[in-house]
Amino acid sequence: MTTGFWHQVSAVVHRDLLRERRRGDVLWITIPFGAIALLLIPLAVGTDAILLRQIGPGMYWVIVMLFGVLVSVGKASNETLPQQDASALLGLDPAAGFVGRATSATLLLLIFEVVVGVVAVGLYDVSIIGIPWLIVTLIIVAIGLALLGTLTGSIVNSTSAGTALVPLLVAPLSVPLLLGATQSYEGLRLGHSILSWVLLMVAVVLIVAIIGVLTARPLQET
Amino acid sequence: MTESPLVELDGVGVRIGSTQILRDVDLEVDAGEEVGLFGANGAGKTTALRLMATLIRPAQGTGRVLGADLTSPERYDVRRRIGMIGHTPGIFPELTLVENLLYAARVAGVPSERAGEALSAVGLGGAADRLAGASSHGMQRRTEFARELMIDRSLLLLDEPHSALDRDAVDLVEGLIARTAAEGGAVVVVSHDRDRINKIASRTVELAGGTLS
Amino acid sequence: MQAQTRNRQWPWVAIGLSLAVAFTLSMVSPADSVQGDLVRIMYVHVPAAWLAYLAFFVTFVGSVGYLTTKDLRWDRIAAASAEIGVYFTGLAIALGMIWAKPTWGVWWTWDARLTLTAIMFFVYLGYLALRRTTDDPVIRAGRSSVLGVLGALQIPLVHFSVVWWRTLHQPPSLVRPDGPAIQDPLMLTALIVGVLAFTIVYGSLMVKRIELIKLDDQKAAIEQSIERPVAGEAVTVPDLGASS
Repeated sequence: MTTGFWHQVSAVVHRDLLRERRRGDVLWITIPFGAIALLLIPLAVGTDAILLRQIGPGMYWVIVMLFGVLVSVGKASNETLPQQDASALLGLDPAAGFVGRATSATLLLLIFEVVVGVVAVGLYDVSIIGIPWLIVTLIIVAIGLALLGTLTGSIVNSTSAGTALVPLLVAPLSVPLLLGATQSYEGLRLGHSILSWVLLMVAVVLIVAIIGVLTARPLQET
Repeated sequence: MTESPLVELDGVGVRIGSTQILRDVDLEVDAGEEVGLFGANGAGKTTALRLMATLIRPAQGTGRVLGADLTSPERYDVRRRIGMIGHTPGIFPELTLVENLLYAARVAGVPSERAGEALSAVGLGGAADRLAGASSHGMQRRTEFARELMIDRSLLLLDEPHSALDRDAVDLVEGLIARTAAEGGAVVVVSHDRDRINKIASRTVELAGGTLS
Repeated sequence: MQAQTRNRQWPWVAIGLSLAVAFTLSMVSPADSVQGDLVRIMYVHVPAAWLAYLAFFVTFVGSVGYLTTKDLRWDRIAAASAEIGVYFTGLAIALGMIWAKPTWGVWWTWDARLTLTAIMFFVYLGYLALRRTTDDPVIRAGRSSVLGVLGALQIPLVHFSVVWWRTLHQPPSLVRPDGPAIQDPLMLTALIVGVLAFTIVYGSLMVKRIELIKLDDQKAAIEQSIERPVAGEAVTVPDLGASS
């Protein structure tokens, strides 16, 4: 008897989070990598406080986009062929597998965003403005980036390039998320409405989620 | 009325990329049968098992497993009834042995209590909380057998099941094979151990030149 | 035979004729009052940019076509269009930069159109990189079709985000990313003819490229139908005596 879709989703989420907790790839590798990138930038562009305050929010979101995708394709979220076969023969619905992997990537990305965000605030003296909307933005970006990374991970699965190709595929497609996030911050800073940016990012999430669920089965073919 | 075979392959060919692995494979496996599959290294035995597991689509010919056409979406519906233990363990090294089984139980929809019972049945009850990655190949193998004990399967596909197992665990393999066949399922076993397989299999087939004889 | 030869030659005739007319018009059209003869780059840059968008749209159509019909002909259309599109996108960007430096004093501005074109270029590159990673035509078609649809559906969102962003951050008044408005009828004619000529070039290249892809597929199908040893036959019985 096959379990419900969401039951399977939660099984995959639990599995991936447990694997990450034991491996620590995000906590001990990806987050420090993102933090050190934030550290290197002032060494290259100059340490003027006014300049850093200006570029800080943008640099933070670029780091989230470029490094955050590594969360979706890290070892803890990837499976070998025998592992994939075993899951398939348990009756795992490919769409449930996709949603599960994207959900666990979202949760890990949120942790990444918060920790690297603290580093950005410290190094760049960035102001934290409009906390409720900021939280909304962090969540939507995490979901969007997780979906993009998980879907493109499925697209390149079992090809010769493997996960190395994922950042190249994700980066241009994540531009609406990048601009949505940075312009939302600017809008909050200037007291403007950011609803249109939020809706744009939600549109990205919806499109990628729908494509990911609909193509989960065909993409499982090896 | 005669039951349909659980596996029906008719002129099946399998290509991976541009490489032909199997050609003109004809095979029928009926309920209650234990079929031994022999062949040299690189003959395509693992590919044949993955084909029967519905994980590979045939490039030529037609095939049905548990009534599902191997090229149609209905193959997704029968996967839950197919068990496969491959050469490389399909368990997660970062999870403990029991966590691997609990994950399998949750996905497959079996009561989670069966995980502990199955692990004890294969003699790993005392090692349930050991990380799979820190366990020996033989222990990982036993865990996979525990998974198959836990879930009701109509078709069991085993690739070198005796490798890395001690004498006690070998009895486990043969018990699982016998149980599956007795309950109306079928088993296909790939092995190089001809003597052992000849004792337990109802018939054997040889894979050579990409085809079965 | 003569009819066949004529059929094979007509695309080249069409290309040659249209490019000749376009070139002539671009040379006889007047120089711009501000840019001088530098404006003539526009007669290649604008058509190339138009083709970039057209090719991208055709790749999307081909991808949807394959996903709905599983007919590899649609995938050939998508792939051919992407290859041609990436070339013309790169050409448009390069020519735009060559034009921009003497005109604006910078190689690049963050104009919405330019930014969107650059992003599309990378989406194309990713699509072509993905196609190179697998030999299996069915898997290649399936995976790249999904990416083709994903990329195309994202592009309007990318467009909106970039346009809104540029609206909020107006460029300096000295640099006018929209470029000069074309009022001279000869210049306008030269531009339109150029766009038409390049569209004919695109169509001809598509026909040829799809033909080549089809021949490649036919060659692969013939090779696969030839009785060859299966992979396992390369493995033989070991013979330690052979090494002594």
